[in-house]
Amino acid sequence: MKISYNWLKEFIDLPLTPAETAEKMTLIGLEEEETFEYGSSLEGVIVGEVLEVAPHPNADRLQVCQVNLGEEKVQIVCGAKNVAAGQKVPVATVGSTLPVKLDDGSLLTLRKAKLRGEVSNGMICAEDELGLGTDHDGIMVLDSGLTPGTPISEVFDLYTDTIIDFAVTPNRPDSTCHLGVARDLSAALNLDLKKPEVTISNTVQSSDDISIEIESPEKCNRYVGKMIKGVEIKESPAWLKNRLMALGLRPVNNVVDVTNYVMFELGQPLHAFDYDEINGKKIIVKDFDKKIEFETLDHVKRTCAPGTLFICDGNGPVAIAGVMGGLHSEVSDSTTNILIESAYFDPGSIRKTAKAQALQTDASYRFERGIDPNIQAIAAERAAALILKVAGGTVTNEIVDIHPVKTETHELTLRKSYLNRLLGTDLSIDEAINIVNGLELEVVSKDDESVTFTIPTFRPDLEREVDLIEEVGRLYDYNKIESPSHGIFVSTQEFSSWELLLEKIKRSAVELGFREIYSNSLISEKEAEHFGSLDSMVGTLNPLTKDMTTLRPSLLHGFMKASAYNFNRQAKTIQFFELGNVFSKSDDWTYHEGIQEQTHVLFGMAGFGSQEHWTAKPKEFTAFDLKSKLNAFFDKLGLLNGISSSEENDSLIYTYNGSHLGELKAVPKDLKKTYDLESSVFVVEISVNAIHKAVAELPAKSFTSIPKFPVFEFDLALVVESGITAGQLIDGIKNKAGNMLQNIEIFDVFEGESLGEGNKSIAFRLHFLDPNKTLNIKEVEPIINRVVKSLENQFSAKLRG
Amino acid sequence: MLDDIKTLKEEIATYSITNQDQLEEFRLEFLSRNGRVQSMFKNLGSVAKEDRAAVGKGMNEAKQLAQKRFDEAKTNLEDSTSSLRSATDDLTLTAPVTSIGSLHPLTQTMDEMKNIFYRLGFTIADGPEVEDDFHNFTALNFPPNHPARDEQDTFFVRKSDDPEMMDLVLRTHTSPVQIRMMENTKPPIRSIMPGRVYRNEAVSQKSYFLFHQVEALYVDENVSVADLKETLITFVKLMYGSDVKYRLRPGFFPFTEPSLEMDIWWGSEKDGKWLEILGSGMVDPNVFKASGVDPEKYTGFAWGMGVERIAILKYGIDDIRTFYENDIRFLKQFN
Repeated sequence: MKISYNWLKEFIDLPLTPAETAEKMTLIGLEEEETFEYGSSLEGVIVGEVLEVAPHPNADRLQVCQVNLGEEKVQIVCGAKNVAAGQKVPVATVGSTLPVKLDDGSLLTLRKAKLRGEVSNGMICAEDELGLGTDHDGIMVLDSGLTPGTPISEVFDLYTDTIIDFAVTPNRPDSTCHLGVARDLSAALNLDLKKPEVTISNTVQSSDDISIEIESPEKCNRYVGKMIKGVEIKESPAWLKNRLMALGLRPVNNVVDVTNYVMFELGQPLHAFDYDEINGKKIIVKDFDKKIEFETLDHVKRTCAPGTLFICDGNGPVAIAGVMGGLHSEVSDSTTNILIESAYFDPGSIRKTAKAQALQTDASYRFERGIDPNIQAIAAERAAALILKVAGGTVTNEIVDIHPVKTETHELTLRKSYLNRLLGTDLSIDEAINIVNGLELEVVSKDDESVTFTIPTFRPDLEREVDLIEEVGRLYDYNKIESPSHGIFVSTQEFSSWELLLEKIKRSAVELGFREIYSNSLISEKEAEHFGSLDSMVGTLNPLTKDMTTLRPSLLHGFMKASAYNFNRQAKTIQFFELGNVFSKSDDWTYHEGIQEQTHVLFGMAGFGSQEHWTAKPKEFTAFDLKSKLNAFFDKLGLLNGISSSEENDSLIYTYNGSHLGELKAVPKDLKKTYDLESSVFVVEISVNAIHKAVAELPAKSFTSIPKFPVFEFDLALVVESGITAGQLIDGIKNKAGNMLQNIEIFDVFEGESLGEGNKSIAFRLHFLDPNKTLNIKEVEPIINRVVKSLENQFSAKLRG
Repeated sequence: MLDDIKTLKEEIATYSITNQDQLEEFRLEFLSRNGRVQSMFKNLGSVAKEDRAAVGKGMNEAKQLAQKRFDEAKTNLEDSTSSLRSATDDLTLTAPVTSIGSLHPLTQTMDEMKNIFYRLGFTIADGPEVEDDFHNFTALNFPPNHPARDEQDTFFVRKSDDPEMMDLVLRTHTSPVQIRMMENTKPPIRSIMPGRVYRNEAVSQKSYFLFHQVEALYVDENVSVADLKETLITFVKLMYGSDVKYRLRPGFFPFTEPSLEMDIWWGSEKDGKWLEILGSGMVDPNVFKASGVDPEKYTGFAWGMGVERIAILKYGIDDIRTFYENDIRFLKQFN
């Protein structure tokens, strides 16, 4: 919200500069967003006399003017059509600064320039360029009697101000007006607050001029009407226009300007009706149980939902309550009698309407937040007094005040013990009272341990003791609270095994050469469809765009997208991992019924494992590159020995003690095509939840003696039918080889005519180790015979001759 | 015979060895089994007994000389013959690239924060990204018609008219993990909650529909704003250096009362500005009540900050979307 520094000074004798004021506001919770100057003293802008106007030789739209500036004559290039010899015009001389904002936020400073080859010593200005109006149609033509060289500041009554734009937090509706901000500053700086003086007329329930009825008191707690007759609608005086223009408002006419003025002064939105347009001399505040068509004064025809609160006259709606008035009863130039509306509307009701209409006005902004429910009569009288001043007219000593729902003040007690315990301070009750003095909290009673205040109705946020403590804290200044006497903490609490695992996974992945990626966990339905049935996935009900409809069922999409992105940008090698959550509908739910949320880790490799280089030929990744990394990964986690894998549908399924971990596969062609990927792509996606379970079951780490004896290696080449897999043979070997078998490697795979059609040979190297002695062939041979015999029986495997 | 030996020695001493071929010729000539030195030893038997010692000595000298010359010449050749190195011995040839792994800059930033919190005696807690209305809003003291509950900000996953079925949302902050902690743990609690959160917002250079937060919670019998302040100051000093300029100011959050925000001075003394880096406050009594913690007995502080924001500041990144594009040319800047 914007506030004027000049205006603030009407309420407090501010000893601070605008910049200091803004900083102080920030430190008490009214956070400055921007501070800027309004208007300009227009130094260096002087009256010039146009002596000569000639067409520009190189530009049709420009003219070259010779201008008398009093002390000198200069040439100025001008683009305005209305420039003519003999005119007195405002000239911004070289070096002067105009209140014209450039793209970078700075103000325009005039320099000597050449425009299309012609020298220009300054600028002949339009009204808006001087901040004197909004007209930009042509240059400003001044009174012909002015002397060239006279400073413009002597010609016009120039107004300057500093505007502080600050953020209003939702709990501080009282700060949406100058009086409210001044009150906070007066409390923080210990200054007197000078409120405008207002006399309240006799309160009546109806008058000869107007009757007011509230049919929906829960939405309209109070409605005050004040009549002013015989006003003259005209332009506002300069002081009033300046106040509003400095805040960025466009002056309309004296009556409307006053209603805006009072809103920015006291925080009460007002509406002025043309009384003679109000049918039946009555106002009815009501909502309807049907849709209502209504044209607001911004000339928009609106359809309002049932329940929208309206101000009606004898004919029907004349304003959407608290949001915007109607076209029909607007104050116009011919208006002579006016009715000022000053009401309290329920914040929720206004918020709903403003949101439904996508229409936030200065009025709705304040009603939504909750204005003071006891200021309506004061605001109406204040407005009436100002209108009499600027528009003439007469008022009666009556004010209609319909107030079906009254908001009483309430009391709150602040305990010294809780205050100091929560703030970490050592304040006495008197000190606390002194700090919040100025917020208009009245002390009802106090002793050494506590104080009870009456809370004014303009502070609806002060509901609980803790809210009062915040008032003490913010006005005391949190920066002044001293460090606690005790030191920083230590903790004996263990880290969770889950967190340790996540860190280990990330560390291992990096050590294995994978780069971490972060991909979107919300993807489009179109993308998600490639990974299963949408029915099994978790979707969002209200996504802003179709790109965020579905929670990812797997990490694969993110990897594919990132790979394609990089291949399209000349990457040759992709080696990524991602750790993240995936979602599915499942009876085996995690936190919320029907929804399974699991953490997965994905490793993916695509493109060239080794690139073209003089030491080696370029080589695309194979599944075994990834399998090798994965084995190393399992080894890192201490799981390698318990891992088994089996092939199903071209995927390698990994399990640990029978529970599923994940699967490794080459991404199929059709899926690759979706991402325009051509090179080979291998991925493995593993459930971290399953790994966590497996790791938890591992025995505690302990030392094993380093073997004292060498490993005995035995090579075994077997010929089998091509349908038999290496995995089957390895399982077969492991079954029969006993516990001296340490490791199995495959060092050769061969297919060829010499083996007969449909056969292949796989050569294994078996590593045997006895921890107690050096093995020799005599001890290993029986094992080999046992193994070969068993493989013969099971797979018709033959030793290769 | 002795004269022959003398001649042989002279020949050995003056034999020209300037390349590998000559070295090999020299070896064949003098040092091989059928070479001239060895051949002479075969004739030793025919030398008169009295001369044998002198001849033998001479032969040995010749043999040692030949060996010495051979070794010297060999070493010299190896040392000096750059013209003989093969093209692939050139060490200035480029080496193949070793691919290296790296952590995403957001992980690195989060790790940096975690490490500071660990030093401050905090542990770590985790919770789901799909959250129910109670944990994401109600328990955190969001009034029923609070703007943050609006559809425009929150992704709904499940909405039901059945009062038994709670609405499900994508968590809009990691604060629900605080509620879960307080529900399940008796104070003292001192923990951080890092994680991914969602806002139903249009994607732009400055905003993305998901981002990451780290929150901290400390609940005990006498936790005060002074403790909060001390922790915040220690944190920013560890994160931004001990000479960091900071300030605290009042703020507003539904789940803390009082609420505070912290700014740090960013840039030079003259051209810098205050930048908001985190929000914090004392846990609101209503939040305690909703989580089953007695607000008369316990007090606590909580604070949170955006990881992307911290990383953007730290590295001067100009577009938040960069984090999710995973361009290798971006990732490798954080090797």
